Amino acid sequence: MDTIAAYLNNMFASLPRTEQTYNLKQDLLANMEEKYHELKKEGKSENEAVGIVISEFGNIDELVEELGLPGGVEDTLLPLLAPEDTWSYTAAKKRAGFMVGIGVVLCMIGPALLIVLVTLAEYGFLRGVLSEDAAGMIGVSILLVLIALAVGMFIYSGSSMERFKYLEKGFNLPCFLRTELEQRRRAYTPTYTLSLTLGICLCVVSPVLVIIWAAVSEDTTGYGAAIMLLLIALAVFLFIYYGTIKESFSFLLKEGEYIELPPEKKEEKRIMGSIAAIVWPLATCIFLISGFVFQRWDINWIVFPVTGILLGIFGSVYNLVKAR
Amino acid sequence: MISSDVIRGYNDTLILYMLLDGESYGYEISKNIRKLSDEKYVMKETTLYSAFSRLEKNGYIDSFFLDETFGKRRTYYRITPQGLAYYREKCAEWKVTQEVVNKFIKEL
Repeated sequence: MDTIAAYLNNMFASLPRTEQTYNLKQDLLANMEEKYHELKKEGKSENEAVGIVISEFGNIDELVEELGLPGGVEDTLLPLLAPEDTWSYTAAKKRAGFMVGIGVVLCMIGPALLIVLVTLAEYGFLRGVLSEDAAGMIGVSILLVLIALAVGMFIYSGSSMERFKYLEKGFNLPCFLRTELEQRRRAYTPTYTLSLTLGICLCVVSPVLVIIWAAVSEDTTGYGAAIMLLLIALAVFLFIYYGTIKESFSFLLKEGEYIELPPEKKEEKRIMGSIAAIVWPLATCIFLISGFVFQRWDINWIVFPVTGILLGIFGSVYNLVKAR
Repeated sequence: MISSDVIRGYNDTLILYMLLDGESYGYEISKNIRKLSDEKYVMKETTLYSAFSRLEKNGYIDSFFLDETFGKRRTYYRITPQGLAYYREKCAEWKVTQEVVNKFIKEL
């Protein structure tokens, strides 16, 4: 079955990626798969079925001509990826993912340290040594320094990917590299799944610590909140670092998110992305303010799951309205 | 098996015939053509879809999406009144063609 999809992908590789060709390809794939399943049901072997389906595909030039597509031309214009480009891309992507991940962790360590410092000054051994205000000042200063460091890392990792910009315009992947990449990705999948599971577990478990801490000592719930932030930071690091590695495979193999999306899907992704970029920092602000001003570290973590759920609801509603 | 060259001018007619009884989609049409021709003619995938494109451009058929189970979307085609008129024209044309060619056919 994969052979059929791969064959079709190859046939369409040189055609421009428009909504028309996308729909056409989906239709052809559906037809060919149905034919394949019927042949299998008739008792044909896997190889026979695939062979018949492919032999009855016909000639792509016939379609190109009828649709008036500028086919075949693009093929020669797109750069052919060399092995060294491919592996330097995956290595650079991995490094960039690591930098961004650490940057985000730094951004989250800042507030965690601030919370710890203020709580220490108020209830801990720094009581009397450091006034609450002074602790706050020191905390904020450290937070700003960490954010500055993080921004530096973001910019550095962004500019390190700059030299691969040309790949976004399209490229051709030689067959042997595709096979090798597919192998590497298969080998990588368990690691990715494990990191994803671990990250999600960390996120789910993190509020539990706050709840326990609040039950043991109400005054120092801040420590629990700080640990929660650190656990989430660790989870986010896992998501970003391992996600980026997976993304590098998908990008080169032009799969998953990088498959030619129809325009309405692209629009949806863009809108959801921008909204998430506004809402999450806002949630963090609410978390910090409600914590420092109202001392509600015991319960204010709830803004994160609530934000997540609200975003989910928003996405569904958006799709529903769009579909009308 | 007949070659696709011979039948080229009548692919559109075959497809229109398949749509006379109601809407259908790519694979169903090609399967029925194969069945009706006693497996003597198999329309290639690309031939079928370039015919769809041509027929639609000329206003002989129109297409619409129907959702199948599992959320897969399928393109269905149906014949238009112009398509029906065109089909009748092609049938008349074939009769004449057949008559003419028959005059040159002889058992040897």
